[in-house]
Amino acid sequence: MPGQLSKAAAIVGAAEANEIGFLEEPITALQLHIEAIKNLSDQTGIPISRIDGVFSTGWSTELCEHLGITPKYIDTTAVGGCSFEMHVHHAMAAIHAGIIDIALVSHGENGHSRRKIGGGGSGNYGAGAGALSPAAEMTMAYGLTGAPSNYAHAMVRHMHRYGTAREDYAHIAKVTRDWATLNPRAAMYSKDKHPFGGPITVEQVEESRVIAWPLTILHCCMVADHGGAVFVCSPKIAASLNTRPVWIAGAGESMGHGNMLEMQDFTATSASKSAQSAYTMAGMGPADMEMALIYDSFTITAAITAEMLGLAAPGEGHLLWKDGHAAPGGRLPINTNGGGLSFNHSGMYGMPLLIEAYRQLSGTAEDGIHGDKGKQTSARTCVVNGTGGSLSTTGTLVLIADD
Amino acid sequence: MSYNKPIPNKGTHTKPFWEGAEAGKLMLPRCQDCNRVHWYPRHICPNCHSMNLEWIEASGEGTVHTFAVQHLVFGKWAEEAPFVTAYIDLKEGDRMLTVLRGVDPNKPEEIKVGAQVKVEFEQANDDTFIPYWRVVEGQ
Repeated sequence: MPGQLSKAAAIVGAAEANEIGFLEEPITALQLHIEAIKNLSDQTGIPISRIDGVFSTGWSTELCEHLGITPKYIDTTAVGGCSFEMHVHHAMAAIHAGIIDIALVSHGENGHSRRKIGGGGSGNYGAGAGALSPAAEMTMAYGLTGAPSNYAHAMVRHMHRYGTAREDYAHIAKVTRDWATLNPRAAMYSKDKHPFGGPITVEQVEESRVIAWPLTILHCCMVADHGGAVFVCSPKIAASLNTRPVWIAGAGESMGHGNMLEMQDFTATSASKSAQSAYTMAGMGPADMEMALIYDSFTITAAITAEMLGLAAPGEGHLLWKDGHAAPGGRLPINTNGGGLSFNHSGMYGMPLLIEAYRQLSGTAEDGIHGDKGKQTSARTCVVNGTGGSLSTTGTLVLIADD
Repeated sequence: MSYNKPIPNKGTHTKPFWEGAEAGKLMLPRCQDCNRVHWYPRHICPNCHSMNLEWIEASGEGTVHTFAVQHLVFGKWAEEAPFVTAYIDLKEGDRMLTVLRGVDPNKPEEIKVGAQVKVEFEQANDDTFIPYWRVVEGQ
């Protein structure tokens, strides 16, 4: 029996900034936001002036001021890359409560361009609460410098517990790249698009440069420019539009820790909890899911998350890719856009997950070019899971296509 | 002082830890109500939410819970790369991050999860001694 909130709102459109990826001309995060919002307004026919709820990772006041709007509901939840799945959850609750009808969830992040022109804006998420937090006091001495330096510890523990080899996880990078070669907007679509683009082999993944052992660079996501936005609307608004709605059947969120020092079990994340909430609300389970979109910051993140979502048994997440189930033509397509590994990842990947989920379930995922088979699948249900921080926070959505 | 790595900002409630480190002792916070040791130091017991906390002198012994070898590193630690970081299961309970000593970062296959380790302290400045953990030889 689905929960009260199930299908109380729908995603009615999803759009990106005009250009995404490794942009030659530097772009600001704000411009990435604004282009996506304008494209979303054009796609759905919803005027920007009609937005009455604004959801972003710390950007809401700046966005509203820039757009000249004065919303009734403001949410700036910023707990890493899963924040956007949480925004959808919160927007659905606010719509169900009758406070708003049209919620904007927006993302802009110039992960690539910031190397030339700086980042700016807000919404960044650090491990711990800054220099005065006792977690930082007891960890800052030891040379950890970024996400790979942390996540590698989880991979070693996962391998130790389940007796897997690094190569098992390399299949995730290979298969995800196969999806990217079907998506012309993927940064790693082809050699023409990027010198390191095009198909890759498991051997290449294994032999690429070591970043934080056991993670080689091809086990890691990219850091590029991305902007995206979705509208979450009441059923009444959804019925008035020409775009196809994708229904939010279930939503859940949770967290395990902030600093990885506090991660109790390095082989598990709070996605087991957030997924349980989402499945319960939807009245569905993992066996009902026909595809999945999983934040793949690293190959190990995708493997662990697939286990947490109930798509594979503990220790067997990687087999979904190794055995071809997650690949184009497989029984459970995963990360059909090419993932954070090969499509785009700007720092917080929760928005590209939402956009691809909308496109797949509304039948608007791009076809391939040159007559190649495209990335559109026949899936009618999709579980979406974002992960934030150092395997810290999670947001899960169960989305279903319109009847 | 030759120590050139990041030196922690000392908090307002962790003085016994840093004073212990200076004397070569590993001091850990323990709850007097549930008796559980926790790390990092809290204002409240994260297990039972009592505020009756005390500091105990620990054995300085533990085991490797998991590790990684850091190759792409920024700041002063870059001079040391590659080096091994590890989470240590403390004998008294809970876990501590460290840069692991007594291992070869170029042979990660030989580093063992579960290996026994002992704490040692390195002087970073006049009144800061930083704990590092070293794999016990002959295992």
